[in-house]
Amino acid sequence: MSAVEGSAAGSGAAALVATDVTKRFGSVEALRGLSVTVREGEIYGLLGPNGSGKTTFIRCVAGLVRPDAGSLALWGGEPREAVAAGRVGYMTQAAALYVELSVEENLGFFAALEGVDGVRQRIEEVLRTVDLLDRRRSVVGTLSGGMRQRVSLAAALLHDPRLLLLDEPTVGVDPTLRRDFWDHFRGLATRGVTILVSSHVMDEAGRCDRLGLIRDGRVLAEGSAKELVARAGTADLESAFLTLSEGATA
Amino acid sequence: MNPRRVRAVAKRIAEQFRRDRRSLGLLIGAPILVMSLVGALWGSSTAQVSRIVVATDRAPAPQLVAALRRSPALAVTETTVDEAMRRLRDATVDAVISTRVGFVSTEIVVVMEGSDPFRSGTTLQSIQRAVLAAVSVPPIPGAPPAGPPPVVVEYLHGGPDHTLLDLLAPLLIGVFAFFFTFLLSAVSFLRERTSGTLERLMATPLRRAELVVGYLAGFSVFALIQAVVIIAFTVLVLNVKYSGSLATIFLIEAMLVIVSVSLGLFISAFARTELQAVQFIPVVLVPQIFLSGLLVPVDQLPDVLRPFAAIMPLTYSNEALRGVMVRGLEIGDPVIVRDLLVLAAFGVVTIAGAIASIRREVA
Repeated sequence: MSAVEGSAAGSGAAALVATDVTKRFGSVEALRGLSVTVREGEIYGLLGPNGSGKTTFIRCVAGLVRPDAGSLALWGGEPREAVAAGRVGYMTQAAALYVELSVEENLGFFAALEGVDGVRQRIEEVLRTVDLLDRRRSVVGTLSGGMRQRVSLAAALLHDPRLLLLDEPTVGVDPTLRRDFWDHFRGLATRGVTILVSSHVMDEAGRCDRLGLIRDGRVLAEGSAKELVARAGTADLESAFLTLSEGATA
Repeated sequence: MNPRRVRAVAKRIAEQFRRDRRSLGLLIGAPILVMSLVGALWGSSTAQVSRIVVATDRAPAPQLVAALRRSPALAVTETTVDEAMRRLRDATVDAVISTRVGFVSTEIVVVMEGSDPFRSGTTLQSIQRAVLAAVSVPPIPGAPPAGPPPVVVEYLHGGPDHTLLDLLAPLLIGVFAFFFTFLLSAVSFLRERTSGTLERLMATPLRRAELVVGYLAGFSVFALIQAVVIIAFTVLVLNVKYSGSLATIFLIEAMLVIVSVSLGLFISAFARTELQAVQFIPVVLVPQIFLSGLLVPVDQLPDVLRPFAAIMPLTYSNEALRGVMVRGLEIGDPVIVRDLLVLAAFGVVTIAGAIASIRREVA
């Protein structure tokens, strides 16, 4: 395994091990033997076009979809066990919130489900992280798309999960806040939190410790952004992605 | 008005309908279902048989008893007055016929059970026909027919001082609770499914059974508030007369709501839009309104429809609510106990269905 950028990233034991995972929905083969290993404290980016299987894989890891074949383990156990133990935080692609409730009420609900202690204080902390403390009493239905994304992230962070699943977390988030998000993700990873993030934004992919280029439900290439660029012999990650995926399908 | 643009809108609606096969199916299928029900219910001339008892120790004239026995709409048995009245209180018979010696002549006394206004109506009509048939046959051949004997009608429940509303309001409380909680839970759980929050919830330690029971608890509170408001309104504003204990009424309501909410959660798995959820009303609710004893007594339904009435929760809640609020039955009465047990069994089945319907989607 190559050296990775950043601090202690990826130095821990394997948090997530997926081997030859396949999943079919009717006639659509969403995952065709996807294998990925993510170590504790690592930020792993799933990079790929729409419909490549990123979300399906994240849903498998969140225990929402059972793979047809292959194995998928979180800390050596079933994903559902890790979810039930409150070790997994999941931020869905479209903010899954109750639009009739306020920011605080939404977070209070998810905190109760996750069994969070000291709810009030914890809600304040996560709202400070996503810079929404002043909107805590706003009804979610009145918030912009980007703000809802931030509430959704706050809900995923509430119970201090050991594995954070982020499905395109910065869609609709402005560049300044996106940078703050990523600083926060890096901070969490330094504290040992494992992060699996999907994206098709290249500058964001560059901030992951390792990337898996996904296409048609398979990992085409894996490595740090630098390694992938070097392997493709291109100037940037975007061209590297195009070169590597064309090479694989040719 | 630009015809091209109007045509474009109309064409788009047709295309959307073509994709939404279920709406199209319900648009055509639901009226057929409801009309078949109405046809089976009122289209055939099935005799509605009322059960009457003739008192042997105070028996009316033999030709009247014979006329009663001849009536195809009456099932006649004979026993003592005391036993007959006991059966009337148990509502196992609809009317008791005896005689009483009055000042001028012996009058015929008809005591009606009275808790079901439609049943009372048909029963009394059949008895009156038999009385008229009896007097049209002269006691001595060749003699002029006697005038009809005086008939006194008394009521065990209801009667002239009760309006139709007094007798139907208890049932409507159940129907309202069922209708609104079914619709609201179906739509709100559908929203939970389509907005992605259900998926988000399933990625927390929350178990499916906890989610379903939480829904039941939440909706039951509002259904009970609804019941309190309806009862208060009917008593204070509409002057409806009720008997029975409020706690028993609430228990029946709560059992019914558990069934309707979990049925709503289950049904929401078969709808993709709120429009489709609303279309389940004619399928789930309308048959229950026709067959649950609200409009026609269940035992007087045509044979083909009676099995359907037996599998409808409102049949049992109607019987129980009428039992408590009109007949004044206590919670320990066998009728109420049986209805509550049947509702509990429905609850177990619909809760299991609701939990399984969540599994269907999320592996």
